[in-house]
Formats: sequence, structure tokens, C-alpha cells
Amino acid sequence: MADVAQAVPAGTHGEHESTGIEHRKLGMWVFLSSEFLFFGAFITTYLLFASRPGLARPYPAEVYDIPFTSVSSFVLLMSSLTMVLAHNAIERNDQSGTRTWLLATAMLGSIFIGGQVFEFTAFVTEYGMKLTTSPAASAFFVLTGFHGLHVLVGVLMLFSLYGMSRRMGGLSPKHHLNVELVGLYWHFVDIIWIVIFTVVYLLSKPPL
Amino acid sequence: MASDTTHATHPTPLLYVKIAVLLAILTGIEVALFYLEETVGPLVIPFLIVLAFLKFVIVIGYYMHLRYEKPLLSRFFSAGFVLAILVYAVVLGTFGVLAIRAAT
Repeated sequence: MADVAQAVPAGTHGEHESTGIEHRKLGMWVFLSSEFLFFGAFITTYLLFASRPGLARPYPAEVYDIPFTSVSSFVLLMSSLTMVLAHNAIERNDQSGTRTWLLATAMLGSIFIGGQVFEFTAFVTEYGMKLTTSPAASAFFVLTGFHGLHVLVGVLMLFSLYGMSRRMGGLSPKHHLNVELVGLYWHFVDIIWIVIFTVVYLLSKPPL
Repeated sequence: MASDTTHATHPTPLLYVKIAVLLAILTGIEVALFYLEETVGPLVIPFLIVLAFLKFVIVIGYYMHLRYEKPLLSRFFSAGFVLAILVYAVVLGTFGVLAIRAAT
């Protein structure tokens, strides 16, 4: 290994290894792949309890506000568009465009989180559905809460990139990969929401 | 579609916008199906699953650029997805069998 380290100085082709893929990029894809198992566990738990008879009411599917959540889903989908436009702008070395789209993505993500906070508050105060109401309610709050936490982490990373860009007068070529990695993470959060919106909100039904 | 890419690996912003419009339309159809469940009947479930899968694949393929990346990344990514589907299908199946046994 020492021979390899000497033969390939850091910061050159050594970062690409034998796969031809940048290490950090490969690491991000593997991490995102593992996240399927993370969210899969919570979605499965929700499916096990969402329609099970005999649990304390209300069931999550009895209190969903589908029009509101549809708008939230639309906001998150559009944030994927602004994120990919930020990535496209940095590839063209358009610093102003990159900043604009990064900020737009962070703002849309913040709106999504705000919507989730509003939704959770309404469930607790108007319908009395709390984390401890039933296993179905617990599964719902833990699943959507962890997704919201992922969105929050994404928003913080986006604001960090925006702040770096402002402070340094633009992102240098060595930061381009950072934008791509944050973008991959952001789009992944979006595809997880696509699954949650369909499986949890549109398909689940309370027991008769 | 060739005019929507600057070269083999980089779609243009216009293509990204077209994809966003398509995703919005698919989401609109999903919500409409939810409200038309009584009219459409039990077919709503497979329809919704197919629509979600379409959106899922479009975002991964175009916004995450997986269709333009090396096949190794697709293999890594799909391995996690397939593993999750298999593991949790077994979990759901097991609990389903246990529930049926408990009921009989």
C-alpha cells in the first residue's frame, strides 16, 4: 500500500482508484444505497400497524390532509429541479446561477420542513394523535420525522454551500464535487418522499 | 431527445424543466386517483405503485444522473434497493402468516 501511496500522490488520479469513480462519490452512492434499508425498516413497521384493528384512535390515515401534503410533495419535487439546476450551473462555472439555485433549493426545503411541523402540530393539537397514541401513530411520526430530519440536514448543507460561495466569491472547481454530492443526497431524500407519499399517505387505510 | 443534451452525459436545463413538469403531472394523477378510488376500484393500488415507481426511476435516472454514470454505481445502488425490498417483503410475509395463524 505504501508503494501505491508514493506512486500516486494525493489529489491526483489516486482519488479515482481502480473503479474510475471518485472515492467520495462512490461512498455517497453506497451510503444512499444503505439508506434504503434504514427507511425500509420504518416503512415496513408503518405498514404492519397502519391498518391493524384494535389500536387506539385516531389512526394516521384518519387525520391526513391529502391536499396539504400534495402541495408539500410538489414543493419537494420542485426543489429537486432547483438542485439539479444548481449542479448544472456549477458545471458551467456560473457562480451567480449556482448561488441562486442553491438558495432556492434550501428555501424550498425549508418550506417543506415548515409544512411538516405544521402538519405534526395539527395532528397533535386538533386530532390528539401523539407519538405515544398507538404503534401506528409512533410508526408514522418516526418515519416522517426521520425523513424530515434528513431534509433538515440537506438544508443545512445547502446553506453551508451557499455561505461558502458568498464568502469566497464563488465555488472553485475543487468544490464542484461537493455540490454534486449534496445534490445526490437531496434527490435521494426526494425519492424517499415519493415512496412515503404514495405508500403512507395515499395507499394506507384505517381498519373499518 | 438528442437536442436536450449538451453532450452524452449532460442534459440541458430545458430537459430538467421538462422532467419537472412530467413529475408534477404524475403527482397530479396520483392525487386524482386517490380521490377517484371509488370510481376506479381496486386498480387504484397498482396504478399508484406504478406511478410512484415511474417518478422514482425518473429522478434517479435524470436528476441523479445514474443513467449517465458507470454501471458500477447502478449496481451498488440497486443492490441496496433490492436487498431492502427482499428483507422487508420477508418481514411483512412473516407477520402476515403469524396474523393468519393467530386468527385461526
